[in-house]
Amino acid sequence: MSEFIQIIVSGLSAGSIYALAAVGFTLLWQASQTINFAQGEFVMLPAFFVLGAMGLGAPMWLAIAVALGLSVLLLGAAFKKLIVEPMLPHGTLPLIIATIALGLLMKESVKEFYSAQGQPFPPIFPTEVVRVFGAAISVADIMNLAVSFAAILTLQLFLQRTRTGRCMQATAQNRGVAEILGVNVKRMVMYTFLINAALAAIASILITPIYLAKFSNGETLGLVAFIAAIVGGFNQIRGALVGGLLIGVIDNLSAFYVSSEYRAAAPLILLIVIIMVRPQGIMGTSEGRTV
Amino acid sequence: MTPVLSVRNISKSFGAIKAVNNVSFDVHDGEVLGLIGPNGSGKSTLFNCILGQSTPNSGEVLFKGDSVAGKEAHELNKRGIGRTFQQLSVFPQMSVIDNIIMAGQEHHGTMLSRLMGAPDAGLTEEAEQLISFFRLDHLRDQMAGSLSYGQQKLVDAAVAFMSGPGLVLLDEPAGGVNLTMLEHLKERLQTYNREHGSTFVVIEHNMEFVMSLCSRIIVLAEGVIIAEGSPDEVKSNQRVIDAYLGD
Repeated sequence: MSEFIQIIVSGLSAGSIYALAAVGFTLLWQASQTINFAQGEFVMLPAFFVLGAMGLGAPMWLAIAVALGLSVLLLGAAFKKLIVEPMLPHGTLPLIIATIALGLLMKESVKEFYSAQGQPFPPIFPTEVVRVFGAAISVADIMNLAVSFAAILTLQLFLQRTRTGRCMQATAQNRGVAEILGVNVKRMVMYTFLINAALAAIASILITPIYLAKFSNGETLGLVAFIAAIVGGFNQIRGALVGGLLIGVIDNLSAFYVSSEYRAAAPLILLIVIIMVRPQGIMGTSEGRTV
Repeated sequence: MTPVLSVRNISKSFGAIKAVNNVSFDVHDGEVLGLIGPNGSGKSTLFNCILGQSTPNSGEVLFKGDSVAGKEAHELNKRGIGRTFQQLSVFPQMSVIDNIIMAGQEHHGTMLSRLMGAPDAGLTEEAEQLISFFRLDHLRDQMAGSLSYGQQKLVDAAVAFMSGPGLVLLDEPAGGVNLTMLEHLKERLQTYNREHGSTFVVIEHNMEFVMSLCSRIIVLAEGVIIAEGSPDEVKSNQRVIDAYLGD
């Protein structure tokens, strides 16, 4: 039983981090019909910003602040201005290809200019464990869960309880009408990109102490976050949260009770089942399409 | 007295096709003007030119004497031009009251108040008055996307009237609405016009609806005005009968 609790908590912890990246997928899709296939690399890169800043002598807290700032600037504002805005008028497919290319560029750049080896990343939370019903639960797991939930809760409150958040929702639900009603749609879309970059940076800082900082981290993270967004419901933030948590737990359970060799297959099996049984995702709503 | 809306010599072409050809008319304060014509006659193009969603090749549009050239749709909304759409235009995952508040909240406030201020921007009371006016009280907190087509059309109208616009452009408000709801919508629009002196321009194919709602009708065909006058004058105009109404 204690092992089971341990596996569940650890799965929820990893899943909550996947959820941060998955929420970014859904936000970008809703606001600008952008599917960002570089999302995994968006989660990989901020850890290297932290390492870079620390290498220049910055303390951990300052390095994290610098990484957050750089991420928002480069992965948020610059990504939207330099890639999404020029590509979007040409359709979704060219934009998807552009984000795949961006992901490759980011991955190869880190490999070329930083290191191809996994870099140790300092833990940001205490490494102790606490005993809960006999199970040894890592404090870092609990803190990862708490920080991820706090980030998503803050986002939800921002979207629901502020005028700007409501404008972002209006933009996502009916862009043309929002524009006519006076919503500065371009600014709302920009906010979405900035928020996505911030969430990716938080996910990066939380997950890298587990996996080491490595140029290839984005491959798995991007795929898992994409699957989490589809499983939960691509048009719902809470769906991305549920999808992320579910994948984190299933991933851990299958690794422990089945085989770690099949670990990577578990999210894919879940994806196939969801697409067959409930294509709009667990929490998603069906969207009509005019043909 | 300065007209609320002046359309002066507007022309708009798409390639070789002249969608609107040198169209001019004025709309006066408190007037309900109908804009009718067969499909492809240029009505929607004209609406889009008025609202800045399409740039005319020549001519100008004046709102209360000021040119609207180069103004984006949201700027015109802030200046007092409301509109409804041919297709449903609610925010489906927002409640009815939130849809209506949304229509007014961007008219004022700073970036700080948008982040820190009351989420309803102090507009709940005004929105509730409109909800009562359109008799939507029982649907106040329902998601707009869950309402019937006719109910959504009423929400759409309430949204257009939020913040007391000086001019409301109604694009096929009767389209797809059942008879009972249609009567209700017409009665509410007439009452609003009478009580608030609002000015409407209505595009509509439902002749019974438009003839009973509007005080003046302009008929477009192939991008030009072929007739203008009271509903009775238009109904008996032979060119209009030939081009649009039929026998």
